[in-house]
Amino acid sequence: MKIFEIKNCKKCFNGIKVLDDVSFSVEEGEVVAIIGSSGSGKTTLLRICTFLEYMDNGEMTYLSDKIVSSVNDKAVYIGQNTLSLDALNKNKELTRIKSYFGLVFQNFNLFPHWTVLKNVMDAAVSVQKRDKDEVKEKAMFYLKKMGLENKSASYPCELSGGQQQRVAIARALCLEPKIIFFDEPTSALDPELTSEILKVIKELAKEKRTMVIVTHEMNFARDVADRVVFVDNGVVVEEGDAYELITNPQKERTKRFLQKYNE
Amino acid sequence: MINLNSIIIQVLGGAGASLLIFFSTLVISLPLGLLMAFPRMSKIKPINYIFGFVISLLRGTPLMLQLIVWYYGPYYIFGATLGLSWRVPAIIIGFSINYAAYFAEIFRSGIQSIPVGQYEAASVLGYSRTQTFFKIVFPQMLKRVIPPVTNEIITLVKDTSLAFVITYSEMFTVAKQIAAAKTTIVPLFVAGSFYYIFNYLVAFVMEKVEKAFNYYK
Repeated sequence: MKIFEIKNCKKCFNGIKVLDDVSFSVEEGEVVAIIGSSGSGKTTLLRICTFLEYMDNGEMTYLSDKIVSSVNDKAVYIGQNTLSLDALNKNKELTRIKSYFGLVFQNFNLFPHWTVLKNVMDAAVSVQKRDKDEVKEKAMFYLKKMGLENKSASYPCELSGGQQQRVAIARALCLEPKIIFFDEPTSALDPELTSEILKVIKELAKEKRTMVIVTHEMNFARDVADRVVFVDNGVVVEEGDAYELITNPQKERTKRFLQKYNE
Repeated sequence: MINLNSIIIQVLGGAGASLLIFFSTLVISLPLGLLMAFPRMSKIKPINYIFGFVISLLRGTPLMLQLIVWYYGPYYIFGATLGLSWRVPAIIIGFSINYAAYFAEIFRSGIQSIPVGQYEAASVLGYSRTQTFFKIVFPQMLKRVIPPVTNEIITLVKDTSLAFVITYSEMFTVAKQIAAAKTTIVPLFVAGSFYYIFNYLVAFVMEKVEKAFNYYK
């Protein structure tokens, strides 16, 4: 079953093409890694998937919910057709659709004035209107899984970067999304903390969670992802089985990119 | 012979009037400032410009002049004879609106200093715009604006003396009257000491408030 699909996504910033006809889809239980050099458009792609940016043209579907359709070469969002970030934020339909996915940021973006537990719980209670006791149990379950059950009363500033990122992952999990996007989840961390986070994501992959990970960790992408999408200059250059693509890339551009990691 | 005790008692007689201006202004101008901060940040250009202009006018002209306009304006513009009963309301309105302009700018800068990542995280988690403001932005903004707000409050304590311009007998006016009658500057220093003591208390309280927010960075 397809959990997520984006088709022919186009995006310009001030007349400069950032994404040109990008398409990819994610099956249930699949882990897809998006790789590519800085400025290739992969973060923009992830931001479009999570409604932090709007696309100019293209289609996007979560499960069987078609959220963006292409009409007369323009993206039309469900519930309205105005194209602006402001309109996206006000879009009531999207509030419902946002429970399909979670996003883990490069810089964690925890809420500093809340305890770890409240960070993990609050959206489930005040956005999804779930029962507080049930959510608390779930939050503690995920914190335990992240090895942070004894940090539930701490504030984010009292935690290491790796711990903060694990809280952010627990926060995303607590909303029970169908798919989790990771935007370079280890780029703000040192190598030791990086391996700590990668281990956690590997665990989630073993549980067959559906995930899309933008990453610069090629070994990780090779070992954990099922499929890899290589993006360069706003287009998908190559896509395929993770191990195959990383160990034996077909396209010249992909070879050159991967070579830099082996030097 | 000058009796220090009697001077202190007489000067303190004007303190009530000063405190009335102080507390009324604070209670009105803080929420009013927050309300003014939003149109000031509005993406609708005309609203943004109008509030930007009003705030610049309030901050760019003497409070003393503004008090005169509030007090005498109704007579010169509308021919309304409000008499002495209009004096205290005019003072409170003049002070509150003037201070609200400063607070609006402080709140605006506080709100705009919240990292964009906080809004993005809130958006992805599905919080509405109202929830994002009240649950996430506002509490963090409060912590950031305490030091500049403290500054304004301390200035307000001393500015209450400007009410003299529409012949309101607040503490400093009373002190000046005694000084003139008794030909001594002692009452002025007594009044000065009271301003200082009061501001010491203000700073003390605000430091406690600041510490109360220290549980997170």
